[in-house]
Amino acid sequence: MKCIITIELGTNGIRVFAFDLNGRVIGSLKGYYPTFHTEPDHSEQDPEQIFITTLYVLKNLLNEHVHPKKYKCACICFSAAMHSVLAVDNNGNPLGNAITWSDNRAKKEAQELRSSPLGKKLYDATGTPIHPMSPLLKIAWLREHDPVRFRQTSKFLSIKSYIIHQLTGEYLIDYSIASATGLLNIHTIAWEPDALQYAGITADQLPTLAPIFTTAGKLRKAYQQSLGLPADTKILIGSSDGCLATLGDGVNGEGNATITIEDSGAVRIMGPTVLKDDQMRFFNYLLTEGSYVSGGPTNNGGNIFEWFTRQFGDFTNPFDIEHSMQQLIEEAAQVPVGSEGLLFLPYLLGERAPIWNANARGAYFGLNIKHEHKHFVRATIEGILYEIYSIGKSLGEQRTIKSLSVNGSFGTLPFCTQLIADMYNKPVRLRQQFHSVSFGAWLVSATEMGIYKSLEEAAQTVQLPDVYKPNPQHHAVYADYFAIFEKLSTKLFDEFEAIGNLQQKHAATETTVKMSG
Amino acid sequence: MNQFLLQQGKAAELRLFPHLLEVGVKKNGAIQLNAFLTTTTECLRIYYIIEGKFEWRINHQSYVFYPGDVAVILPGTPFGSDNGILEIGSFTWLHLAIQKLDNGHLLPGKWSGLTESEGAAIGKILSLNSSPVLTRFTEAGKILKCIQAELFNHEIGFQACINHQLDELMIQTTRHMTRQSQPGRDFPKTFMRLEEVLRQDLSHQWTVEEMAALVGLGTTLFTERVKSYSGFSPINYLINIRISEAIKLLKRPDISVTDIALDTGFYSSQHFSTTFKKLTGYRPSEFRKNHLKNK
Repeated sequence: MKCIITIELGTNGIRVFAFDLNGRVIGSLKGYYPTFHTEPDHSEQDPEQIFITTLYVLKNLLNEHVHPKKYKCACICFSAAMHSVLAVDNNGNPLGNAITWSDNRAKKEAQELRSSPLGKKLYDATGTPIHPMSPLLKIAWLREHDPVRFRQTSKFLSIKSYIIHQLTGEYLIDYSIASATGLLNIHTIAWEPDALQYAGITADQLPTLAPIFTTAGKLRKAYQQSLGLPADTKILIGSSDGCLATLGDGVNGEGNATITIEDSGAVRIMGPTVLKDDQMRFFNYLLTEGSYVSGGPTNNGGNIFEWFTRQFGDFTNPFDIEHSMQQLIEEAAQVPVGSEGLLFLPYLLGERAPIWNANARGAYFGLNIKHEHKHFVRATIEGILYEIYSIGKSLGEQRTIKSLSVNGSFGTLPFCTQLIADMYNKPVRLRQQFHSVSFGAWLVSATEMGIYKSLEEAAQTVQLPDVYKPNPQHHAVYADYFAIFEKLSTKLFDEFEAIGNLQQKHAATETTVKMSG
Repeated sequence: MNQFLLQQGKAAELRLFPHLLEVGVKKNGAIQLNAFLTTTTECLRIYYIIEGKFEWRINHQSYVFYPGDVAVILPGTPFGSDNGILEIGSFTWLHLAIQKLDNGHLLPGKWSGLTESEGAAIGKILSLNSSPVLTRFTEAGKILKCIQAELFNHEIGFQACINHQLDELMIQTTRHMTRQSQPGRDFPKTFMRLEEVLRQDLSHQWTVEEMAALVGLGTTLFTERVKSYSGFSPINYLINIRISEAIKLLKRPDISVTDIALDTGFYSSQHFSTTFKKLTGYRPSEFRKNHLKNK
């Protein structure tokens, strides 16, 4: 019997699934690799550790789950987090660590480019918001601040391109990862000359552009032997985690949106055209030719609730944060919808969509003497989800959203899913069984192998059984409060900047006081 | 027992405890000059603040201590006050003889009832810890008070009791240290810190007991946590870090394969070669050759 293996190169680690040809999971294993913060604003990962972890997990999955059951692996398909950059020399050896999406070292460069006419032009061409996450700005940063490494660089790869090169010897980048670099013209599907010029590189310093179904050559012999895989195993380059999560949730074509809430979050839609936006709020990434995954990302998702839990949760077991979160959610459920007028702005990490303000800060608003601990819990969750709703609302100005699905660890808590249904006033479908990303990669593989005629057909077979129905009364309450939430988030613009500056200024003084006195 | 100073060789109370070099309580009513000069000793010093606020320098860095705080000064570390000034307040302390191994790690002495591996783990945590300040560590105050009372009261079993309390002090101190180094109180942060420590000293022959002790957990719970968080057993996780580091070194032509093997913590180049081949399919020398001739 044949099986399909999907490899998900995520932010914190790798997840490998083996599926049979009906889309059932035969086995899955994960492996962790760390993110290093060598300096504030820097986030890096060790490419060799990612590679070894990939080999190790793959090997164990093949030994434990696939070989004993006599499955023959027909196809391996990749997905990966977006926006990573790894500089390699002309032997393909990494020059230092890979820089990941959450790295903010290019903050200053991003601010300057964003407010320039070139920034607007590049956004229109590439569909990637001008932000330090974007490889475009990270490469520009390297040119300015790390000229030695920049000069030695033969190619700038994504982490996925590096892993595929290690396994097969080919330098490839799929359309969606490429379109998240800020260097690809998503209309012509070619590297954008203006972007290359801004970054100071040439097109041959980037991997070869490849559509989603591209086979990345053959697995090197040594890996065929050590992994026990046949020489004709297909290595599909696949796509990005964002695009595949959308596909894996059955979203294909217009009218559907999918909400992902892990640490951070995003609302995504799919369509045949890009979303145009004068305020440069949305991303548009290319899944396949003529099919764009568009949407807005937030910095403040499950990580903010985790922060709250650490500060105000009850830790009987210091290691068990899930348990504390569960207790808090039970507490929140005792409070009426809308937290009796307590509002929370969740911008603890600044914010991307829809306000794109790195200076934004958190706030509780509307506090009165009646409010108790439990109101803060509920207001915090509601605040995080108002932010998710505000992204959906701004997307809705350009597209009609008929149905919604939710995935990701924080979003799929039943309490949160119901809140999302109420806020949007739309039924919400929920995938609980497994990661949408890997299932999306399975759909791609199955289509490539001819099980489905097209990705559209593949996506139609996705069944999301759990439906949360909106409560119109709750929706009315949320609509009232949301109006204030939305006003606050834009009205406080000057104050966000002022407090951000003060925090920076006084943080510096405090350090000197500590050192001297 | 308001204020006192017992020193080894001078005080009869310490005759049965050769490892207890000094025990004391000091109440300082007025600021004193030249009363607390910076010194370096070869013993482990533990100071507990009862009242007042003290600004002391440990290893040339200033730290401020408040009531309930503990200063842990490792052997060979300069400790004292700038200008020798002693501020108003009171504190209690003890100096403990402790073995310092060639690799810099500490080992409790023969008096200790700790098992060899637990003793080694505790010594390792003490020597790896970068912050000598343990805040709000009132258990330490209670233990010191108990040791002092036993020293003077000579009740039945006091000798065993004092040695037991010293073990207790070592255990609580290391537990406090590992807890303090995990401000988030959650496993991912703890794990990150573990990873850092492992990478700093990859050639060390880490055991699961040592790794578990570093994060302040028993081995069974530790193994379970690591497995569910990282997908690897602790030893396999360590092997993964070792091989990733080895790959980087193999891509540099100037280091011999044997050196790489030993630097990254393999017993021998044979052990390295077998593990490497099992995972990657290449022998380390083949891998190196492929990478250097590439293009």
